[in-house]
Amino acid sequence: MNTELGDEAIEFGRQARRAIEAAGGDELLTAAVAEPATREMPAGPLLAGLGAWELSPRTDPDDAEAAAALCRAAGWWALPYPVAERLARPLDLDVDGLSVVAGPAPAAPLAGLELRWAVVDPDGNRSRVVGCGEPGDAFVTRLRLEPLDAAGAADLALALVLPCWTLLGMLDRALELTVAHVRLREQFGRPLAEFQGVQFQLTDAEVDRSGLEMLAKHALWSAVSGRPDAVEDALALRMAALEAAETVLRVCHQLHGAVGFCDETTLSWISRASQPLRRLPLGLSATRDLLTRRLGRRPLSGIYG
Amino acid sequence: MSLDFDLGPAADALRGELRDLIDRHLPAGFLGAFTDDPADLAAAQRFCRTLAERNLLCMAWPPEYGGRGASVWEQTVVREEMWAHHEPRGAQYMGVNWVGPIIMRHGTEEQKRRHLPPIAAGEVIWCQGFSEPEAGSDLASLRTAARRDGDGWVITGQKIWTSYATMAQWCFLLARTSRRERKQQGLTIFLVPMDDPAVEVRPLRTMMGPHHLNEVFFDGLRVGDDAVLGTVDEGWAIVGDVMAFERVGIARYARCERLLALAPVVLGERWETVPAELRGRWVRALTLCRRARLLAYRVVALQDAGRVRPADAAAYRIAVTRLDQDSAEVLMELAAELPAGDDATEYYRAEVADHWRYSQAATVSSGSIEMQRILLSRSMLADK
Repeated sequence: MNTELGDEAIEFGRQARRAIEAAGGDELLTAAVAEPATREMPAGPLLAGLGAWELSPRTDPDDAEAAAALCRAAGWWALPYPVAERLARPLDLDVDGLSVVAGPAPAAPLAGLELRWAVVDPDGNRSRVVGCGEPGDAFVTRLRLEPLDAAGAADLALALVLPCWTLLGMLDRALELTVAHVRLREQFGRPLAEFQGVQFQLTDAEVDRSGLEMLAKHALWSAVSGRPDAVEDALALRMAALEAAETVLRVCHQLHGAVGFCDETTLSWISRASQPLRRLPLGLSATRDLLTRRLGRRPLSGIYG
Repeated sequence: MSLDFDLGPAADALRGELRDLIDRHLPAGFLGAFTDDPADLAAAQRFCRTLAERNLLCMAWPPEYGGRGASVWEQTVVREEMWAHHEPRGAQYMGVNWVGPIIMRHGTEEQKRRHLPPIAAGEVIWCQGFSEPEAGSDLASLRTAARRDGDGWVITGQKIWTSYATMAQWCFLLARTSRRERKQQGLTIFLVPMDDPAVEVRPLRTMMGPHHLNEVFFDGLRVGDDAVLGTVDEGWAIVGDVMAFERVGIARYARCERLLALAPVVLGERWETVPAELRGRWVRALTLCRRARLLAYRVVALQDAGRVRPADAAAYRIAVTRLDQDSAEVLMELAAELPAGDDATEYYRAEVADHWRYSQAATVSSGSIEMQRILLSRSMLADK
């Protein structure tokens, strides 16, 4: 039993966070939103410089932990680059990344990047991305696909897990920003942090955030060690991640008050940047429905399943 | 890879051994020791002795006190299997989990000789005399007083919500011995017998069933200096120690998971006709079980590494007590889908009803959820 990432992965994540900050931090997102074609620069070379694309998370368990830590660091800054999707690239296809898609109108936040993509659906069907539509909010674009094969079942778990680590990083940051805000902002002559109504909302958010962190570690372990229920574990993680995102970001917005909607606050940007992760490939109800159908009569693996 | 969520072969083997013992030694339809049927208490007492004979009752204790120095993960398995099966150790889990270890830390050699062997042998029940009518979450405001009288002490006051007091032989009692600047000062722990005529126990009928909660009155109970645990007036530090042992506390998630996992088995073909929305809630509840279990494992791992972070324990306690109540609602709805059935079906229905009743107190007992929120928010808002 070990509930913590390895020291090297933690240090890698720390260095990645510092490197992204040095390259512009929050400004990377605002610049890319203004001009999606600038997503690649400087994020692509920065990540390459960190050694991100030399990681083999599908074959090397230590690399998988480093990849997870990197996704979390990218989420902290809402880095406008599909780090998780690139790290999830399959072993047997000559592509730069893999995204999970579902539904009749496949979409993913891949706009503005000149990269070769594959996608996989929940049934393991893989396709090559042969074209993108107009870029929408948060770099989401409709995808034109060319079917490849039905051999993607083994690709699915990690491709679901890593984006949850990105979302976790966003929630880490949103909560840290909110704690700083309520310590500083005064109403009725004292900091918001001194009101129990504020304190208890923070604990709601923290319980969901820390629970998500543990489920993310568990699902990563399950995916990398090739456990038979790895996809179900990944879907359970995703379900918890979507619920946590709703709770945490709602609390963070509420406690920031009106200023949290203003573009001068980072929360406003993180909140919008989290949208593709929360809605694609499936939202909360559809994720729960998919997991329920996959499990049937079986419980999740655990001490009684 | 550093991450590893396997408990390991020793823990797996222990889990199998415990399930086998539960299967063979507990009567059919067992729902815990605290029913109106004295046979249930007797079964729990017998089960404790069975565990003790196999060196399983106090396995976490050091060998010199009758334990076998089991790993924290083996202790975790014991907590899980016992709670999942309606705590067949009955009230004795308290003696094993914290009364014994606290006496090891703070007791005199004589206190250790007197109290530890009966706990290790599964022969004694303890109760905890902390809460009072005017001192619940604000425990340090308690009024029960111990007055110096010659060589000993005279204790007068009232305790309430005292679990197992009707069956306990000993009480781990917190009383005021002096008035100081801070109310946390001037408190002392006493180890007092419950069979003294100066102690009166009045049971409270509750929705959790009989024998759970009681009032205890101390009317001039005389005890010697040998009843004092640790240092006079410095009992608050021991209370903190008790809380540290109780941080992980009851493995509530284990019973939730066991009952949820059983639902499709008990429902059989009817599972397919359970509303899809309810099956979705079942999956969600199972995910919350896993979340609570993993949060517990993090606390256990940190404690094992000597890194106690009260905020992590508080987050776990909030998650697991809410899970208890959320899963109870799902289980009650699933049980309502059951037709009248055989003994196994009716036992499951009774288990679920029992779980629901217990779960109502989950966010109140052993430190209310509000206290956990205060602890957690204090840590979140502290200067880093």
